[in-house]
Amino acid sequence: MDIFTLAVWIITAAFLAYSFFKDRKKTTQVLKMAFGMGKGMLGSLLSIIFMIGLILTVIPPEKIAKFVGEQPLFLATVVSAGFGAVTLVPAFIAFPLVGTLVNAGVSIVPSVAFLTTLTMVGIVTFPIENRAFGVKFTATRNTLSVIFAIGIALVMGVIM
Amino acid sequence: MKVLKKAKDNLFLIFVILAYLVIFIFKPDIGIDSVKNSGYYIKEMLLIMPVIFVLTALLDAWVPKEKILKYLGRESKSKGVVLSFVLGSVSAGPIYAAFPMCVMLYKKGASIRNLVIILSSWAVIKIPMLLNEIKFLGMKFMLVRWVLTVISILIFSWITAKVVKDEDIYNANEQPSGLTLNTDACMGCTLCCKAYPDVFEMENKKAHVKAYDGTLDNDKLAQAITSCPVKAIEYVENKPLSSISKK
Repeated sequence: MDIFTLAVWIITAAFLAYSFFKDRKKTTQVLKMAFGMGKGMLGSLLSIIFMIGLILTVIPPEKIAKFVGEQPLFLATVVSAGFGAVTLVPAFIAFPLVGTLVNAGVSIVPSVAFLTTLTMVGIVTFPIENRAFGVKFTATRNTLSVIFAIGIALVMGVIM
Repeated sequence: MKVLKKAKDNLFLIFVILAYLVIFIFKPDIGIDSVKNSGYYIKEMLLIMPVIFVLTALLDAWVPKEKILKYLGRESKSKGVVLSFVLGSVSAGPIYAAFPMCVMLYKKGASIRNLVIILSSWAVIKIPMLLNEIKFLGMKFMLVRWVLTVISILIFSWITAKVVKDEDIYNANEQPSGLTLNTDACMGCTLCCKAYPDVFEMENKKAHVKAYDGTLDNDKLAQAITSCPVKAIEYVENKPLSSISKK
């Protein structure tokens, strides 16, 4: 286990011990809730992972890197942001996935655009957001998120 | 009928299984490689997922949200902005769980700008996730992206508040009466069913309100409502329940 995973485990264990010491009932509730969240998501997580495994075998990351590298940077970034917006991948799969892509040589700008829209914008969640707040709010927030995701990616390309 | 509904809910899973079947029949070596590649992500996920869920649930339980609510109103300035970021980053659940909570906040007077901040930071700035990002993409990457994201959210929440006015926001389901459960938000944790099995039941991985005879056990109901990680259960009655109305 690497140092960061270990750090998260230690921080959580300490917090959990403190929580247990402070309020035993609340802590049992917390653990039940965490277990429930995990159980609820496991099925969809596994299907997403096996799908990614399949895609990355048929189209290896190096090929993706080469293909993205041949496109004009701005176009690659916009398309990546689009891909991120239509797919819904939980963050703890998204980070290792983007890690794989960056290590295979995909440049940082499209990768960041993909990562940001992946989590912030969702075509899948659009109807739910629409039902809660109406079209104007939903459309404005999601459009601005895509524009700013591309902005973040471009600025990161300059800084990193 | 039930089988059909179950299949519809798991469409993606079925699609993936079929894809693997086809590949294993025609190109077994690609199939084996795919499973190996998936194995890497499953290992990474299992190392971090349990602990992230526990940490998220802990933050959700210990950050005093009711106190934060008071500062999110339309007159609130920088304090409301900071607290909206805090609220979004420590809350449990996926982004679709944020919508019903934000509707509740809006009814209680939160400003549009703060709503956008909560929704966006809910999606991108989860504290446990930041640690995960450092692991796979590096400290510098995480910090730069984090700072840029916060700045972006500040700017576009301001723009949204200029573009969208209060009259643009409608609520399709006006104040329901009785006991309601928002299935859009439910993530199937089964806590409500455990707290009050006579009234709540699971169906297709989502909780539902059973037909009940009109009498409710206030203590059990209050426990079910507060235990829901995404605040999907609402109870509206003319005479407020003493145990719930203290908010």
